[in-house]
Amino acid sequence: MTARPDSTPETLKYPHWQREFDAAILEGDPKTLRQRVDAAEAALFLRLQALAGNAEGQAEQRAIADAMRTLRAIQKEKLAYPDWHKK
Amino acid sequence: MPKKRVLLVDDNTAVRLLVRQLFELEPDFEIAGEAENGQEAVDKAANLKPDLVILDLSMPVMTGLDAAPLLRKLLPDTSIILFTVHEGSEVQRLANESGVDSIVSKSQVATELIPRAQALLEKSHSGKLPNAS
Repeated sequence: MTARPDSTPETLKYPHWQREFDAAILEGDPKTLRQRVDAAEAALFLRLQALAGNAEGQAEQRAIADAMRTLRAIQKEKLAYPDWHKK
Repeated sequence: MPKKRVLLVDDNTAVRLLVRQLFELEPDFEIAGEAENGQEAVDKAANLKPDLVILDLSMPVMTGLDAAPLLRKLLPDTSIILFTVHEGSEVQRLANESGVDSIVSKSQVATELIPRAQALLEKSHSGKLPNAS
């Protein structure tokens, strides 16, 4: 699912959000990580709205769900978001 | 009839902007304020006294599930919608325990959020609120 960092929009499987997602997961600078994660989350969120009710987009919706889980893990582990599971 | 006042809580600026735009298209609603995390939501709610809080689940500082019971205690008549990409029975159970009135998936914001908000506020106006569903 993850594209190489040098992927062009033409070679990305999910061009609406994959570049932003890759930028977030590859970001090594803690100062810009939050920005990257927010940008990826926004791109995923907007794409989800576009895919709503579209049966042909189910594979991409599953990929988006996976990507969202990855972003949540980054938020929890690297950005100190509280864990809502611990109730 | 006065507009229903909405407090919008999400850590992502772009998500807040899109949701704000959805509500601004509706004549019955106005965005009373925004917050970036649960703690800020609780602090702002005390002054804003919104009719409805749209609450993200996963946020820094304080999650939506931790903020919901504080909001419920502070403003018992305010409706709370949990707004999340996380779905399933665990979220449903935790939301019920936290005093959330309804859950809307972030994948269905464009189609579900406004109708759910309208339905909740109508029920709130006419009597008892349903549990999270």
